[in-house]
Amino acid sequence: MKNINFTCPFCSLLCDDIQLETKNNNLKPLNTSCPLLLSSLKREIKEQFPRINGQKTNISQAIENLSILIKKSKSTLFAGMGTDIKGTKATLEIADIYKCIVDHFSGDSYVKNIKSVQELGGFFLTLSELKNRSDTIIIIQSSYDTAPRLFEKYIFPKDTINNLKKRKVVFVGSKVPQFLYKNIKKISFEHIKLDSVNLLNFLSRIRNSINSEVLEIKDRRLLNFLKLLKQTNYGSILWSVSELDNNINDLIVTEITLLIQELNKFTRFSGLSLSGSDHILTVNEVMLWQTGFPIRTSFQNGFPVHDVNLFSTKRLIDNKEIDLVIWINSFNEKKIIINKKIKTVLIGIPTHPQKKNVDVFIPVGTPGLDYNSHLIRLDKVVTAPLKKVRNISLPSVDQVLNKVKERQFQ
Amino acid sequence: MITKLENARIYDPTNKINGKIKDLFIKNGTIIDKPKRNEKISKIINLKNKIIMSGGIDIHSHIAGGKVNLARLLLPEEHRKYLYSSSNKLRSGSGLGTCSSFHIGYKYAKLGYTTVFEPATLPSNARSAIIEMNDIPLIDKGTYTVLSNDDFLLKLIQKKTDQKKINDYVAWIIQSTKSLGIKIVNPGGINAFKFNQRELDLDEKNKKYGITPRSILKVLTKSLIDLKAPHPIHVHGCNLGVPGNIKTTVKQINAVEGKPMHLTHIQYHSYNNEGDRKFSSGASILAEEINKNKNITCDVGQIMFAQTVTASADTMSQYRNHHFAHPKKWICVDIECEAGCGIVPFKYQDKNFVHSLQWAIGLELFLLIKDPWRIYLTTDHPNGAAFTAYPKLIKLLMDRSFRNDEFSKINKYAQKNSILSSLKREYSLYDIAVMTRAGPAKVLGLKNTGHLGIGAKANITVYSEMDDKEKMFENPYMVIKDGEIVVKNGKIKKVFNGKFYIAQTDYDRNIEKEISSYFEKYIGRKMQNFKIQNQELWDHGIEIENILCDRNDY
Repeated sequence: MKNINFTCPFCSLLCDDIQLETKNNNLKPLNTSCPLLLSSLKREIKEQFPRINGQKTNISQAIENLSILIKKSKSTLFAGMGTDIKGTKATLEIADIYKCIVDHFSGDSYVKNIKSVQELGGFFLTLSELKNRSDTIIIIQSSYDTAPRLFEKYIFPKDTINNLKKRKVVFVGSKVPQFLYKNIKKISFEHIKLDSVNLLNFLSRIRNSINSEVLEIKDRRLLNFLKLLKQTNYGSILWSVSELDNNINDLIVTEITLLIQELNKFTRFSGLSLSGSDHILTVNEVMLWQTGFPIRTSFQNGFPVHDVNLFSTKRLIDNKEIDLVIWINSFNEKKIIINKKIKTVLIGIPTHPQKKNVDVFIPVGTPGLDYNSHLIRLDKVVTAPLKKVRNISLPSVDQVLNKVKERQFQ
Repeated sequence: MITKLENARIYDPTNKINGKIKDLFIKNGTIIDKPKRNEKISKIINLKNKIIMSGGIDIHSHIAGGKVNLARLLLPEEHRKYLYSSSNKLRSGSGLGTCSSFHIGYKYAKLGYTTVFEPATLPSNARSAIIEMNDIPLIDKGTYTVLSNDDFLLKLIQKKTDQKKINDYVAWIIQSTKSLGIKIVNPGGINAFKFNQRELDLDEKNKKYGITPRSILKVLTKSLIDLKAPHPIHVHGCNLGVPGNIKTTVKQINAVEGKPMHLTHIQYHSYNNEGDRKFSSGASILAEEINKNKNITCDVGQIMFAQTVTASADTMSQYRNHHFAHPKKWICVDIECEAGCGIVPFKYQDKNFVHSLQWAIGLELFLLIKDPWRIYLTTDHPNGAAFTAYPKLIKLLMDRSFRNDEFSKINKYAQKNSILSSLKREYSLYDIAVMTRAGPAKVLGLKNTGHLGIGAKANITVYSEMDDKEKMFENPYMVIKDGEIVVKNGKIKKVFNGKFYIAQTDYDRNIEKEISSYFEKYIGRKMQNFKIQNQELWDHGIEIENILCDRNDY
């Protein structure tokens, strides 16, 4: 038994302050009760066989089958993409060779952020700026589910470079932010309850009222909020697209971006999107530098073609526009879509409940548990180094895909 | 195996060879002396009527890191205009100014460049940038880490910490972020912008720390000298793009009191504010200062007329310039209590007065600064133009009649306000070899590249001699990297990765106690995880080339 420093790979905060007790590959965190980490470490690996049509096989046979499927396929989609930098690079190399399409689990919501940046740009900040600089933090309808320790690490602490006293935290939205109510002593907290349509209207009215004389505004709530914005030295606005109303989340993100632009005309404000589940940010960054485009890019023409609607996983599967889908998920057991008319491969963790339902299942380890890795943090600036902490003989996603590549000319 | 390159005319300024016909011998990727009689020459390449220079060195080109990726995200339309198909040897890709990584390598190699430096890597982004740069093949690479706005350093300067401790911090940053040097960007200004200061001149105080850009500049300049770093301080000064900033730029030269300093993209810092439109050229003022102050080296950051995108750590300036965005969208980011970044797309147009004058100012600087050993060819890729514009820029410098023809096409009012057409100087091939090879190698402290002497890396560009210098430089006949032919007649023949340059310096380990506690308390990360380990780079297949901090000519 020994205690080690550990960087957690299970959300894009990539917390590196965790003490882990390790004993015969059992891992127990000693100084955190992060629910995502606890549930992730609970998974018990009882067997780790690759499978073909649900039947146990060996790894080289499974890789052989995967290689044959890719070679035969007229149109392959890489979906899920729960992987690290090396896994993404290996995927893109295969995608280039075999002219595939690449999307991600979080594609549906994250493309709303992508579209907003492509149309308007934005003003953003990173986590330590949030911690040390922001005297006002506005949270738009965002719970802490996707990044459980965000508030504990970056919003509640007292030690800040700017010696901030009690920060003002305003939650705007229909949810009840229990995580904020529980820590009410640490912050100066306000909750503005609004459903999604009213939320959009509220943001829009704020933006349009910034330059109005205070006397002209009659709505007390609006007036107080405006006062707060004007008194702020450095504010931040946090949102999570996946938690906003799907029908108008793009409009809300646009409104937030425009509001931040307006506020920077007289004070300092910036934004932080909290969407980052299943390491979409890592995949997106590697895609951008290697191809010039973010997720939802196809290489079917021999060069990259990016379309946020056309290359959605659900649409491609529903319309049967692909004949092979390769799901990658080295972090968790998220449910995958299986369509019996489309060949389905899962490169996933050994405990995945759907492993017997796919044509080929190849078990892989988790970055930062079973092999050294690099993942990109929520704010896209910091890349964390992660180190192997247990000894289970499981390959990484890039090792599997590199074997497929080696069979290219066979 | 020994290869002989024979009958070519050689331009190798480091070894004072100016167009002499001379044979070169290559063995194991290195240039060697004439082999002994008993040594077998396995391959002879006849290069009659060809010109040889060492591989080009780009001292300042934004090829990787968070800001480049943000620019890619911002501009899908630009990427859709330039699409590259995959082939047996080459990966697919897209873009020009913010070209995707593999094609940056292919394009530089096709231009005969073999070494390129990413000049603005933020400490917290260094790991990502280096991993990204590993996907740029065929060139040797390195980075300069951005300091001068991080709260840790500013606090040290505020507390009047002794220079020795600041040197330890600077050395620690270089080691931890695996860079070749340090870049100053708008010293104190990016930090001041986080406190809502909108401008900061050299002697203005940062609101939070009460210190001036001058004090930051002086301390960091001295640090690199004390550390005997391979490259002196690399400076993007105050007031970028502001009419009248020439006064600040001259004050900056005086501020370092004769110590070595590299001023980058000086075109953006050479504006006067005279005339009806309060925008005029300060090129002759700056050229006179640089001619006089032998301690100063510079690169130009020439603009060329085209759509491009500006990407910089200078959030204060980029925010100020966002009104000029074309198309109308822009990004700024405040980053990790270190600095920031700003992305503003630009379309430089020859009918626009300001753009035309910027173009003329850049060329005036090239022609008025006399010593090519101290002025290097850059477009501050992609800020002034994509690096693919270098051949046309070289033609503008080498061919006065072409230059004057181009000058006659720009905005008429700008023509009236520029002395460019009166400047008779034409660069020679030797001058070009100095400013794109020997000069940058010298100022970067790279001893084994930028020249063709014995022991140099066999990084060699072979040109077919042509009257039209743009054509000559855009399509080298052959490019050799580490002794291997990588490009022939414009086609990539072989793809492999170059090396990654890192300065080797040392520091008093005691500094880590303070840094570690700063990281835990404020940054929310472990210092140990901030430090990039060589093993991580090796795991990605990155080959490191260490450069010693042993410069004794400061």
